[in-house]
Amino acid sequence: MESMKQETVQDSAIPHTPRVGVYICRCGGNISDVVDTDHVAEICRLIPGVAVSKVHTFMCSDPGQQTISDDIRQEKLDRVVVASCSPFLHELTFRGAVMRSKMNPYLYEHVNIREQCSWAHKHDPRGATAKAIQLISAAVGKLSHSTPLEKIRLPNHRRAMVVGGGPAGMKVAADLAACGIPVVLVERSDRLGGKLPILNRLFPNGQAATELAAKLESQVLSNPKIEVLLKSEVTTVSGFIGNFEVAIHGDFGPSGHATDIHTTVGVIVMATGFKPYVPTDGEFNFKRHPAVVTTVDFNALLSKQKGDARTFQFDGRCIRSIAFIHCVGSRQVDGVHTPAVDGRINTYCSRVCCTTVLNQALQVRQRFPDTRVYDLHQDIRTYGRGHEEYYTDASRAGVVFYRYHGQEPPEVTNTNGPTSPLRISVKDYLSWGEELEIEADMVVLAVGMTPGPCETLVDQLKLPRGEDRFLQEIHPKLRPVEISVNGVLLAGTSQAPMNIQETLAAAGAAAVKARAMFTTEEVELNPYVAEVDAHLCEGSGACLTQCEYDGALAMVEILQDGHTVRKAHVNAGLCVGCGACVAVCPTQAINVSGWRIDQYDAMVDGLVRDLTPTTI
Amino acid sequence: MAGKFNSDLHLDITAFGGQDADMCMNCGTCTTICPMSEDSGGGFPRRVIRLIQTGQQAKLEESLDPWMCYYCGDCTTNCPRQANPAETMMASRRYLTSRYDFTGLAKLFYKSALAEILAIVLVGLFVTGLFVAFHGPMVLNKVELNTFAPVHAIELGDWIMAAVLSFFLLAGAARMTWWTLGRRNMLRISPMIFIQQIPVFFVHLFTQKRWHKCGSHHSGIRWIKHLLLVSGYLSMLTLVLILLRWFQTDTVYPFYYPQRLWGYYATIALLYPTLDFMISRWRRKEPIHLFSEASDWIFLIMLFLTALTGIMVNIFRVGGLPMATYLIYVIHLSIAVPMLVVEVPFSKWSHIMYRPLSIYLAGVKQAVGAARTREEQSAEKIAA
Ligand SMILES: Cc1cc2nc3c(=O)[nH]c(=O)nc-3n(C[C@H](O)[C@H](O)[C@H](O)COP(=O)(O)OP(=O)(O)OC[C@H]3O[C@@H](n4cnc5c(N)ncnc54)[C@H](O)[C@@H]3O)c2cc1C
Ligand code: SF4
Ligand code: SF4
Repeated sequence: MESMKQETVQDSAIPHTPRVGVYICRCGGNISDVVDTDHVAEICRLIPGVAVSKVHTFMCSDPGQQTISDDIRQEKLDRVVVASCSPFLHELTFRGAVMRSKMNPYLYEHVNIREQCSWAHKHDPRGATAKAIQLISAAVGKLSHSTPLEKIRLPNHRRAMVVGGGPAGMKVAADLAACGIPVVLVERSDRLGGKLPILNRLFPNGQAATELAAKLESQVLSNPKIEVLLKSEVTTVSGFIGNFEVAIHGDFGPSGHATDIHTTVGVIVMATGFKPYVPTDGEFNFKRHPAVVTTVDFNALLSKQKGDARTFQFDGRCIRSIAFIHCVGSRQVDGVHTPAVDGRINTYCSRVCCTTVLNQALQVRQRFPDTRVYDLHQDIRTYGRGHEEYYTDASRAGVVFYRYHGQEPPEVTNTNGPTSPLRISVKDYLSWGEELEIEADMVVLAVGMTPGPCETLVDQLKLPRGEDRFLQEIHPKLRPVEISVNGVLLAGTSQAPMNIQETLAAAGAAAVKARAMFTTEEVELNPYVAEVDAHLCEGSGACLTQCEYDGALAMVEILQDGHTVRKAHVNAGLCVGCGACVAVCPTQAINVSGWRIDQYDAMVDGLVRDLTPTTI
Repeated sequence: MAGKFNSDLHLDITAFGGQDADMCMNCGTCTTICPMSEDSGGGFPRRVIRLIQTGQQAKLEESLDPWMCYYCGDCTTNCPRQANPAETMMASRRYLTSRYDFTGLAKLFYKSALAEILAIVLVGLFVTGLFVAFHGPMVLNKVELNTFAPVHAIELGDWIMAAVLSFFLLAGAARMTWWTLGRRNMLRISPMIFIQQIPVFFVHLFTQKRWHKCGSHHSGIRWIKHLLLVSGYLSMLTLVLILLRWFQTDTVYPFYYPQRLWGYYATIALLYPTLDFMISRWRRKEPIHLFSEASDWIFLIMLFLTALTGIMVNIFRVGGLPMATYLIYVIHLSIAVPMLVVEVPFSKWSHIMYRPLSIYLAGVKQAVGAARTREEQSAEKIAA
């Protein structure tokens, strides 16, 4: 190990005697009630390289941070360890503190002695104390091999691509353009609006969907910063935040012929929306009887009703009763529902269908009082503001509710020919689980949502999907519109079932996030990416076989000592620093900055260091 | 019986006087409040309303629940949706009565007051006509009712009428039994069970003791009044059907003679409650009196008039007014007969039979259930 250390370039930067400051936080008792912090501080002084070791009640407080700054100046510290809470909470706080004292922020290490010591071992104070010492010792070990690092800076192309021209896409485009960011809006169909044109009166305010569509569309079309590409799709995409290269294929050429466009954008927003679930042949007699339709079809039927008949009309017939069945294609149960081609079932709730049904049922009762309405649900999930009113009103308007259990969905059978009523048997839990039969002239299936078509982008950008196949955000609460690929954002139902209100809120958030990414001329990335030691690399290409991120690693030919040689080359914008390559390099030529193998070695040494006072 | 499902069942019930059952949201408050519901196992009134809402005609007709309700009105008072469950229970009793009746007359009378009144008038005129055509000599110097209307002739008429009415009534009872016990099950029930339960029928016929469970504070008094009415009614029936020869005499016995005392008791027992019920229905103070159907009024008025004219016959006879006696006697029968012919099998009167019968049938069902559990248990034991 010694010999290799001598050879690595980074080591040349290590000062012969590092001066490390160790700061132990009591966390107001959260830590010190279990861990003997004073003892820890005392022992830590014995670790080679430690110049200062102190305890503070709240390190994150201003005086706590001030202590660090003062010591860096007075004690000439060049490395700092804070042993406190989780790095999620305060790593950036302390990194900021050392930066303000002109120290390189990557010469800072954070040790978590709260979650990992005092909380995890609260019944074993001695053990917790010993573990805290070991962890700090490891951090000091790592630090003594750390080198100053700089954030990676790359050019930032001030242009966004929004994929999908539904409510979400239109809103993102309009909001971004309003901030002066040029947007290219790619929509695969021949019009903007997404699902709006197939909707009718929207909940929760009864607004006509066409009216909302027209408003959003005019915001998009009136802004010259937005380039709308209809009948077009993204064919290839590569690159990284600030630098995505995209190829778009579509019918937007002046002559209407298929054309390809190549462009560079800094941010991509996925607003690819949803596909309504399509019941399988025969599911609830769908496609076997003309009067079994989906809520999507029913919206169209509602708009088409003419005159002032007291009964709903369909196919020139009076429909005297309609049964709505909730959760079709949603909340499916293993062993009850037939899986889709990919072997999966949709266990999730589509969230909009309940209020959609009640909205439609209420319209029927109000406009066609002679048409009776039955509502077969598992639960009524009218969760949004103003949604529950649809339930109350529908109930007051005489809609009769039935409740079934997911394992026992209702059965729909054809009684006699295409114009005869349908028979529905349901085990109704509002009637103590009695088997009831209903006859209805029409059955409306409340279809749920499945993810919109975005395979090309998902495959090429390696976008993660959730268990439900919708695009998966980084964190449902802390980073709800970001996806783990830097520079790609989520808006609307591409991410999960949402109603329009939520869709537009998410789209607004994505627009703001996108806007924030354009605040600098360059994009700054964490320096924790792979780097190759050209002297050690023998060009075996083993690393390439492991890398899962397209474009992050490549073999390049360079001139070395007059010969052309193959060497691995890292694209810092695309590398995520996972370290898969490090594990396979036969010559250990590739390392992740900030987490190099020699740093790990030093941490292990630190962990096993014997620090009993007498032995020193 | 029609198909199992009837999408218009709620409208049918409305036609029988049901109110706002569609407003029910199935909360169950009514069932919780109802003191009678707990041991029926069915959870009425909610279940009955639910069956109506969901068009479950077959299940409604198989149900005894509507008969277990004595209309205290507490459910209606407490219903958060003003769905008026009590009135729906009442309407479903009317509906069931009309369904048990195979002639369709009950349905006609319930749905159309006009038809009911017309039928009463027709039968009344028929009776008057019979007297006009066939009455005996009118002795005018003293009251000789038995010469004007010989008791054996009247008795014969009574019995013919009783036979016809019993036929319709029993046909209704048979249909009720057949439906509620289940067409298939019924034949498998041991006859012993049917016999053992017979006392239940009579106990409830004479006492309506179930009513006593009804928790409402007014129920006690209503029960007593009702009991009075039934005792008057049954007394009158006994006197004119079985004891007519003893009851309709021309001799004026002393006041304390049982023939007169019983007659007076029966009269008071009929007049007071019917008058009282009419006043309450008129005043509409209690929730139960809010909605009176024509059938309710006709029943009370006819009963009241029957008793009134009956006592007038007695007064005129004792008072020695021959012509007035004969006249009022004809009027009395022209009211009493249509009252019985129309009301007994086809209208409200029939509940006197359906109520105790429903309790009897509930008892049979319970006994069958108990027997089945015993059998299963012993089968399990043998298997073990
Ligand atoms: C029957 C029904 C009734 C509803 N009623 C209501 C209601 O009353 N009120 C309410 O608030 N919500 C309602 N909703 C929900 C509402 O439809 C959605 O919230 C809304 O449409 C979501 O908008 P979106 O932009 O995310 O997706 P979408 O509307 O699906 O739009 C996505 C767009 O992206 C395009 N696209 C997809 N993939 C690509 C690709 N790869 N490349 C280019 N373009 C692509 C599509 O062509 C489409 O134009 C209803 C839903 C259903 C099913
Ligand atoms: S919103 Fe309602 S209908 Fe839709 S999946 Fe959820 S529970 Fe079922
Ligand atoms: S009748 Fe009234 S109290 Fe009874 S379940 Fe219906 S809403 Fe509730």
